[in-house]
Amino acid sequence: MITLWHYLAVAAALFGIGLVGFLTRRNLITMFLCAELMLQGVAINFVAFARYHGNLHGQVFVLFLLAVAACEAGVALALILMLYRRGRSLDVSRWQDLRELGVPAAVDLESLPAVHAEPDPTLTPAGARPAPVAEEPARV
Amino acid sequence: MSDPVSLALTILALLLGAAVATALMSGAAALKKFAHMPIIIACGAGALLAVILVTKVAAATEPQFVYGPFTWFAAGRFTANFSLAVDPLAAIMLAMITFIATFIAVFSSGYMRDEHHQPDAGYVRYFAVMSLFVFCMCGLVLANNFLLLVGFWEGVGLCSYLLVGYYYQKPSAAAAARKAFLVTRLGDTGFLLGIMLLWKLGGWHTDLTALFDHIAKNPPPTEQLTAACLLLFCGAVGKSAQFPLYVWLPDAMEGPTPVSALIHAATMVTAGVYLVARCAPLFVLSPDAQAVVAWTGGITALLAAFIALAQTDLKRVLAYSTVSQLGFMFLALGTLGAVSPVFAVVAAMFHLFTHAFFKALLFLASGSVMHAMGGVIDMRRFGGLRSVLPTTHLTFLCGAAALAGLPLLSGFWSKDLILESLQFGAHGSHPYAGSFYLLMLVAMLTAALTAFYTFRAYFLTFWGPTVVPDEAGHHAHESPAVMTVPLVVLAIGALFVGVVAEPFTHWFSGFVGRTPSIVLAAKLTGAADVAHHFNWGIAGVSTLLAVGGVALAYMAYGAGGPERVPVPLAGVFALSRNKLYVDEAYHGVFVKPAEWLAVMARVFDLFLDSLSRVIAAVPRLVGAAVRPIQNGLVQFYALSMALGLVVFLSFVVFRR
Amino acid sequence: MTLLAVPPPSAAGQLALAAGLAAVGAFLLLPKPGLRSVAGGVAGLVAGLAVAAAWVVTTFGGPVANTVETALFGLFAAGALGFGVVLVTQRNPARGAIAFAFVILSVCGLFLLLAAPFLMAATVIIYAGAIIVTFLFVLMLSQNDGPSDENDRTREPLLGSLAGFAFVGLVLFALGQSHAGAAPLPAQAITPAEQATLRAAAADLKALEDDRFYVVPAAGGTPSPERVALLSRTEQAVEDVVGVSPRKNDGTPRDGPVADRLAARSDLHAKGVLDRVAAAREQSALAFRFAETAVNDPPRGRPAEAKAEATKLREQLLLLAGVGELPARNVANLGVLLYAHHLLAVELAGTLLLVATIGTVAIAHRRGTAA
Repeated sequence: MITLWHYLAVAAALFGIGLVGFLTRRNLITMFLCAELMLQGVAINFVAFARYHGNLHGQVFVLFLLAVAACEAGVALALILMLYRRGRSLDVSRWQDLRELGVPAAVDLESLPAVHAEPDPTLTPAGARPAPVAEEPARV
Repeated sequence: MSDPVSLALTILALLLGAAVATALMSGAAALKKFAHMPIIIACGAGALLAVILVTKVAAATEPQFVYGPFTWFAAGRFTANFSLAVDPLAAIMLAMITFIATFIAVFSSGYMRDEHHQPDAGYVRYFAVMSLFVFCMCGLVLANNFLLLVGFWEGVGLCSYLLVGYYYQKPSAAAAARKAFLVTRLGDTGFLLGIMLLWKLGGWHTDLTALFDHIAKNPPPTEQLTAACLLLFCGAVGKSAQFPLYVWLPDAMEGPTPVSALIHAATMVTAGVYLVARCAPLFVLSPDAQAVVAWTGGITALLAAFIALAQTDLKRVLAYSTVSQLGFMFLALGTLGAVSPVFAVVAAMFHLFTHAFFKALLFLASGSVMHAMGGVIDMRRFGGLRSVLPTTHLTFLCGAAALAGLPLLSGFWSKDLILESLQFGAHGSHPYAGSFYLLMLVAMLTAALTAFYTFRAYFLTFWGPTVVPDEAGHHAHESPAVMTVPLVVLAIGALFVGVVAEPFTHWFSGFVGRTPSIVLAAKLTGAADVAHHFNWGIAGVSTLLAVGGVALAYMAYGAGGPERVPVPLAGVFALSRNKLYVDEAYHGVFVKPAEWLAVMARVFDLFLDSLSRVIAAVPRLVGAAVRPIQNGLVQFYALSMALGLVVFLSFVVFRR
Repeated sequence: MTLLAVPPPSAAGQLALAAGLAAVGAFLLLPKPGLRSVAGGVAGLVAGLAVAAAWVVTTFGGPVANTVETALFGLFAAGALGFGVVLVTQRNPARGAIAFAFVILSVCGLFLLLAAPFLMAATVIIYAGAIIVTFLFVLMLSQNDGPSDENDRTREPLLGSLAGFAFVGLVLFALGQSHAGAAPLPAQAITPAEQATLRAAAADLKALEDDRFYVVPAAGGTPSPERVALLSRTEQAVEDVVGVSPRKNDGTPRDGPVADRLAARSDLHAKGVLDRVAAAREQSALAFRFAETAVNDPPRGRPAEAKAEATKLREQLLLLAGVGELPARNVANLGVLLYAHHLLAVELAGTLLLVATIGTVAIAHRRGTAA
């Protein structure tokens, strides 16, 4: 018999996983997705309580939660874009300037293993050589 | 406001105005050479007005004019008023102060110049402080409120400090000024305590007239009144340089010589005598206080005379002589319960009066010698100056003769009155009558010593082969008229003021004896007045002593020249020359422990300093330890929030 | 085994073990240039999950075998947690976003199991449809090739995992303590037995809505004994649940077992149920009076009113039986709730969406013409 408590346990575990991800990962987008994961855990909690109480108030709250999550996603992505434009990086550790005076910046000591990206395979072009076209730079 | 009061106020206003005007002159360099004008005008006019004041007071039937009170400050039962009282005692002091100050100011205008007869660098400062001093002294004698009197008392102390330290670049002068101020300060502490005690005993009065009236009507217990009188006497001991607080006066000779003449001969040091004389109604009720006063005077007189025997510095001889003569005045004051206070106080005041003249004269004459000798005053370095400085020599001789007490000169009459009062006190029914006899013998011995050392100084300076030190240069000639005229005037006073004032006319005792506070004291004690006839015994003995001292001095020093001490007297001579090692004793007992205490206090202060610095460093250290938490990394902040949440939750969940 | 008698592990110990294993596993699995082991990480996480699942089963009650619900719950829960772990530990953020999409699908499965079909659809549309696509676009525009700081490094992996899983452990422990009776959940308003009784009574009342029930017998005939028995049986069943109204002519008024059970409770839900029970009580007295009159005393009976009252009573009984169940028409009831009870929140949410849209455009707007 799956009771309310089982659902609450699953929601707590999902929330915890989301919390671990938010605290550890440094990619801004991954951090945001982990926050959304935490929200999903909360949503499960609400719907389980709605089912238990036999009324729909919990589901209404989840509806609003969805609306807020959508707004949050929009604004967060706009901000992430701005930060990327300024810092050319999606690393949240890039932004440490609000630290106390005299505290040194946190730098990464270990170096990443260099990965030799395999060069893309090239084929001899078939057919007539096309006219050269100036490559458009990617606009971000 | 009756006439004597308005005269008194005018004198005070003139002197204060002179002080302010002279001080303002320091701004303009062109006015510097006129700096002596305001004080001479003020003192001269003041002297004239004071003489008029004396006549007016003498003519009045009720010779006490109290002006005031305007409340200075009041707190609860304590009121300090601006209250002046003009009575014969104050009037005669006023006249003496202004008269002598005028001539000393005239002398100073000639003395305070360098080799080229240009005014000294601090010329303006000198006259400004001197006029302030005369103002404070006149205020002191006129004050009718203890607090006001203390104010002027401190004022004269301050001016003495400023004038003794006139040559402040000289370390010994600065040290002497400090010593004078601090030693008199010791006495002033007792003085203030005595005032407070009297305020309590005397019905919460601080005005002298009201206080004396109250105490006369409701005499407090004798022990408390004795304590109050002794505390007041502490102030007198400090200011009038009695044992044990006399050590500042010889050092105060570092100041310019006219300063010594004015302050340390005629006026400031007599403030203590004046205080006891004014508080006669209090002292008369306390035999123990009278004994203390008399003994202090006697011991001081003998001690100072002994030290003066072997001094080499002419001014130091005169300084110790002043201390000794002040001891004489206190000897007389000590008898004011055994003898009618009228007589005792008159004796002391008369000696004060004559002493002012001849001691000021002696100091000014030594100033003239110092000026001619280029600043040298050590008697071993000059001699036989009779031919070099004739006027100075003759005036000095007049003063020395008066001091020694040669017959018919002013010192003779005043010293005799003191000996008489001691003799009568010894024959009376006073509890300390026996000691008065002993003190009379002490006084006679001191008189002999006085004659000896005075004429030792005279012979060493003016007789013998003429020796002029190198510093004199072309100075070794008689001083200009501006300096010799005051000498002559004071010499005339030294010779004649005694015989004119008292012995035949009894003008002095008649005038001063009418002072209401002294009359009140006489009423309180009931001792019979001394018959006013000439005491041949005392006169004969004192003449013998004086002539004997002079003869001994002539025998030893008549030929002038270097001093030869007979071998058996060498020890005594060394003791006298080294001032009985009193200064060294004070240094060891008081000064060194105080310095040691200061060093310990500095060490403790440094320790506290470092302690407070350590405590001040603690917030900085705590901040430095906690600051790295704020490292700007958002995830680190989130992690600390999560960890804190975990801790908090565990407390909540595992609550027992 | 007495020598090795190990005391049964306490709930705190079990959960601590689970949290520790999961934390170690997560630490090993998180991308970092140093220590990283997929096998070890997966092993740790699986072990932790197993211990935690065992604890959940022992504390909250084991799943009933061969029930579709249990199987589906297990599938969806494992899917959500598993894909969540993939999102957190995957180096490549695009793959992480895809994992997130699967998390959403699993969560929607759970929503469906909890009788929230509209939410399931809305979540799939908004999250998997809109949000994830937007994220993927941004990722593709700003992703650099090869290893990079943001993807291959983590900030405080050990402390972060410990903090997160410790938090989960504490919450589970708290849930266990609540379940153990410290604060027992409120009992059901209507027990299943009463529900069954009410549904049966409602089925029986259907007959009262039929005109044939009120057919008058031939003159001098007695009413059919089956109808009388049906009427009395049904009335008895209803009164057994909702009680007897004072308006009933014969019979002592009583409140009924439901009202007795809910009398001490003061929450709105209980009050609502009590009101409904009271209304049903009155209605039953009225409806059965009409029906009895129509059956036993045909000249005075009014069959039309009897039918109407019986219909009302049947609806009330069905609603009472359905207390504690979610309404079948999910969307309609959601709409009623939104617009009747939470209108202000709806308007505010709309405003928030508008402002967020404008804000997003304003923030991301590139000033100037330079590329």
